[in-house]
Amino acid sequence: MAVNDVSFTAMDGYVTGLLGPNGAGKTTTLRMLYGLLKPDGGSIEVDDIKLNGNPLDVQERLGVLPDVSGLYPRLTSREHIRYYGQLRGLSAAELDTATKNLIEALGMADIIDRRVAGFSHGERTKVAMARALVHHPQNILLDEPTNGLDVMATRAVREVIRRLKGEGRCVLFSSHVMQEVSALCDRIVVIAKGLVVADGTPDEIRNQAGVENLEDAFVALAGQEQHEQ
Amino acid sequence: MNFRRIWVISRKEWTDAFRDRRSFYSLAIGALIGPLLVGFMMNRIAEQRRTADEIKIPIMGRQNAPALVSWLDQQAGIDIIDAPTNPQEAVRSGKTDFVVVIPKNFGEKFNESRPAAIQLVSDSSKQSLQAKVSRVRRLLGAYSAEIGTLRLIARGVSPSVATALTVEDVEISSAQQRAAIIFNMIPLFVVLAAFTTAMQIATDSTAGERERGSLEPLLINPVPKSELVIGKWFAAAMVATGGMLVTLSLITAVLSRVPFQELGVRFTFGAKEASMLLAAALPMALMAPAVQIYLASFAKTFKEAQSYMGFLIMVPTLAGTVSLLYPAGDMPWLRVLPIAGQYLLATDVMGGKAPGPIWFIAAAAMAVALAALFISLTTRLFRSEKIVIGR
Repeated sequence: MAVNDVSFTAMDGYVTGLLGPNGAGKTTTLRMLYGLLKPDGGSIEVDDIKLNGNPLDVQERLGVLPDVSGLYPRLTSREHIRYYGQLRGLSAAELDTATKNLIEALGMADIIDRRVAGFSHGERTKVAMARALVHHPQNILLDEPTNGLDVMATRAVREVIRRLKGEGRCVLFSSHVMQEVSALCDRIVVIAKGLVVADGTPDEIRNQAGVENLEDAFVALAGQEQHEQ
Repeated sequence: MNFRRIWVISRKEWTDAFRDRRSFYSLAIGALIGPLLVGFMMNRIAEQRRTADEIKIPIMGRQNAPALVSWLDQQAGIDIIDAPTNPQEAVRSGKTDFVVVIPKNFGEKFNESRPAAIQLVSDSSKQSLQAKVSRVRRLLGAYSAEIGTLRLIARGVSPSVATALTVEDVEISSAQQRAAIIFNMIPLFVVLAAFTTAMQIATDSTAGERERGSLEPLLINPVPKSELVIGKWFAAAMVATGGMLVTLSLITAVLSRVPFQELGVRFTFGAKEASMLLAAALPMALMAPAVQIYLASFAKTFKEAQSYMGFLIMVPTLAGTVSLLYPAGDMPWLRVLPIAGQYLLATDVMGGKAPGPIWFIAAAAMAVALAALFISLTTRLFRSEKIVIGR
């Protein structure tokens, strides 16, 4: 069992970080949130809609960047965005505007009409992000969005996350990197071995662990052993 | 059911598939292999038949029977050439196909009206030469009968007295037989085209998506799983239909150039037969991709899926071969069995005795029902968690 008891609330206009070492249950938690895994118990609500029984209604309100970007090598960036936009029922005009905005927000002008095969990791993440945001979702789930990205790409992703927050959207992202979370999050949920071990603002987390440094707090809460993996 | 969304899914699969060189080639091969084989084999048979018509007969000891040699020479398509010095050695080593040897005492015995021996040196283990050798044997027999008749007349006996039996040759030559076999293989090629052309897109859009990790983000879209599966199935089914149409029209074009008359075969295969064959086989273009998508959805990788496809294609191949060897006769239940039903209808069409439309509808209905069953099974598979997190 990857996730045992994980409860938290992510608010509109806030960036919530799901922090935990590898294998803590972050991806499993997110997969349950976006309806790909069914929890054995408990409940999930998005914008007051219960996931159980209404998975499509919930998915309607989500924009998700999963664990693996999962692109189609033979399609261009624009075709990726168009495919997901059309699947979500966007009109041609809506799709046009959305694509323009995304090209600008993510800095994709140079890669928009290139086929994805051969893209760098950063470029792939941009395409996956754009595809996830095309329908202007209120709630955004990002599974380790900056994992393996270089500095420039990481900065671009952070920029987008801040922008989404500024627009009053609800952003939930997972990470095992301390700096990432402390740089962005208003609220941190620390999970380890499928349990929530801490939940609060960065200051509250530090107080709870009784240490000055957030990284020390993470180590203290998540357990030294696991963190070294 | 949102048809626009299904169309979006199918269109993406087509774009993806046609940009892939591997899948494009496999598509082309799948659609062309049947017509190419039919054309090639029919041509070979016609060619063999023609070479059998023009026979060069090496004769040793021509001077011993000048009358026989000149009679042979006058027969249509016969050329007399010089024989090698050692006939048996030459035939054994394959230098020449056969040799006719006329011994020195031929004239002597012939003049005394005694049976004059002639040797026909050939290697009976070489099947491909049998047509030629037996033709020569028949010619020699004909000469013998002609001379015999003349001798009887010279002695005042009616030749019919000596003819107790007249055997009328109703010949099914090997050329005819082979032409018939290939002709009857056409349904097999047409049905197989559905499987081979849909294979790539069916595996790439399911197992391929899993392998690339693109299935998980796709499933997060608020699209009913049934629409996803139908979209993917429709993409493959249209490719299979196209493949079948290409195969069938090329085969029709090839057959229009085969000189059936020359082959001594009475086959007709025109637009009417082709469209009836299409009516019989088309349900397979709907069913084959449904089964393929279901099987491929179990596979985690493209390669794994391809090995399943390899096994799957054995089913129509074996069924088609069995239907060639053992005509089903009157077993009505076989006629509504998918694949077997299509073959039986096709065989009837090829034989020029198509059954009533009710049989076409019955066979098609069963195939379509099976397609629907596999689509719903695949949908179920797509709804389960296993499709994302493995088995």
